[in-house]
Amino acid sequence: MNQNPMLPYLGKLVEVRDLAADIKLLRLEMLNGGSEAFRTYQPGQFAFISAFGFGEAPFGIANTCGRGPMVDFAVARVGSVTTGLHELGQGDVVGVRGPLGNWFPMKKFKGNNLIVLGGGIGGAPLRPVIQFVLDNRPDFGSLTILWAARHPSLLVFTDEYDEWRAAPNTSLHLTVDNPDDNWKQNVGLITQLLEKVAPSPENSVTITCGPPIMIHFVTKLLQEKLGFTPRNNYVTLEARMHCGLGKCGRCNMGEKLVCVDGPVFNMEEVGGLLETYM
Amino acid sequence: MSKSVTDNKHWLISQTELESWLDQIANARTLIAPREVAGLTLYRPVEKSAEIAWSDKPLRSAPSGRPVLSVKEIFFPATERMFSIQKSGQDIALKESFPDWETVVFGVRPCDAHGAKLLDVLFLDTNPIDMFYARRRENTTLIGLACKSPGSTCFCTSVGGAPDDVRDMDIMLFENEGGYLAEAMTEKGRFLIPGGEWKETTTDLPSANFEIQFPIPEKGKWPEHFNDDYWMKISERCLSCRACAFVCPTCRCFAVRDELMAPGEFERIRCWDACAGENYRRVAGGHKPRPEKGERLRNRFYCKFFYYPEQYGIGNASACTGCGRCIDVCPAGVDITEVLVDLEKPA
Repeated sequence: MNQNPMLPYLGKLVEVRDLAADIKLLRLEMLNGGSEAFRTYQPGQFAFISAFGFGEAPFGIANTCGRGPMVDFAVARVGSVTTGLHELGQGDVVGVRGPLGNWFPMKKFKGNNLIVLGGGIGGAPLRPVIQFVLDNRPDFGSLTILWAARHPSLLVFTDEYDEWRAAPNTSLHLTVDNPDDNWKQNVGLITQLLEKVAPSPENSVTITCGPPIMIHFVTKLLQEKLGFTPRNNYVTLEARMHCGLGKCGRCNMGEKLVCVDGPVFNMEEVGGLLETYM
Repeated sequence: MSKSVTDNKHWLISQTELESWLDQIANARTLIAPREVAGLTLYRPVEKSAEIAWSDKPLRSAPSGRPVLSVKEIFFPATERMFSIQKSGQDIALKESFPDWETVVFGVRPCDAHGAKLLDVLFLDTNPIDMFYARRRENTTLIGLACKSPGSTCFCTSVGGAPDDVRDMDIMLFENEGGYLAEAMTEKGRFLIPGGEWKETTTDLPSANFEIQFPIPEKGKWPEHFNDDYWMKISERCLSCRACAFVCPTCRCFAVRDELMAPGEFERIRCWDACAGENYRRVAGGHKPRPEKGERLRNRFYCKFFYYPEQYGIGNASACTGCGRCIDVCPAGVDITEVLVDLEKPA
């Protein structure tokens, strides 16, 4: 981190491409001190990206550091900062503060079956988990990916599905709420898909990211119908943060701060607090 | 923080001596004191002691009451520049600047000094240190003024404070028969005391206490009230105007954004924000956690008495200083002491 932790490093956009409707992938080459700061980071960590002239916002890092020196972020256009980021192109410079927050305990997951549930842009911070498992395939049991979006045009990382499906002991299940004419996969909410796939809780860990309402119902289903214990359910939470350092006060979930106590939480530790986050 | 001094020396000074001392301070550094601004008393820089909002009756004496905004704004201003941004084509240059003025604040009430101490826990004692707050805090000396009588909404004694609480001051003054008794609490404060000019005294420092005791639910009891209907009922009054947070000595939520200063020139600023605002937590996908006013108002009370103490490890202490400002400014009659009393009533 910079001596002044609110001062960003600079990063150059080496690639900008559409990931889904109004969602772009920004691929950054870190400049100056930033390349040292981002030499290592863990699946689940996040960073603030500045669109200079607009401000900054937090985003989950969307790749593992094992996949090379560039850092990926998926940015949905929802407000002024993300609109500013969408206006940028290759060669433009953004600010980056991070890596911040805790991460998924991938070492602890060794030998477990992993069930990854991503809703919409919530898939972005789960991509490094998938990459990590694929890159260390023998260390893990089965990998079951449940991937959902409101509409087919909102599914993220579609060009990587073949790689995921081709990996050993790995399955990908897709669903959308509102299909279009070409859609041949599941239709419905991720909870319906989860009931259908019905993964066994035996030696299994779930990792969920999506809108709060999805996290709520997925967790309920896992625990009440599928026999999972809260201890084996992990979530990564989104919150509107303005510092990422435990100062600005905005991201509290009860007495926890999503930025420094999370964004990754074990449901045993926060189960009762989720209602304060809804 | 400056080291404390324990020699127990104190001095007896007249109003005239106090004023000439403050004039000397104002000549050398920035002196901030209660001043009348557009009909409000605020902590503002003064060039000479005559600009201070002294009470006139019966003789000129200590400023009465407490300023509308707390000393928070001296260490944590409503808007602060964090760095400037120069943008030219694809070139970006960032330039840092930090506040470097040396200030002395006169007329600080114990509740406000305590509020600063509570913010220290977050900005100084919890890593990473906030460099802006740290600079301002290190370069500020607090001259406190003990309270002789409580204001109509004061309740510091309910939350562990006291009208003569010297703990968080550098120098403390006690009003005493037309003059003041002064004691230096820290080395930083001692440095400001004019050595031979003031008369040392053995007069005992006056002590004061107010008989104001509102019940504060124990920290461990807060979670069980979380789902009470009470929060939705009391919030019927709330306008979500956020005034309570802005006047609060310990509310510290902030927002960060860029402001355009000139073509290609921006400043990254942070400014006060508050959890009562409806869009305060809007996230991607348009979801707004805490959509109900009651949920947001509840968060404010929980932050003072449960969340903040848990987050920053202040044990059973609360993050409320009992200054009563939020009661004074609420246009809709939300009264923190009423809420505390209601919570202690049997359901």
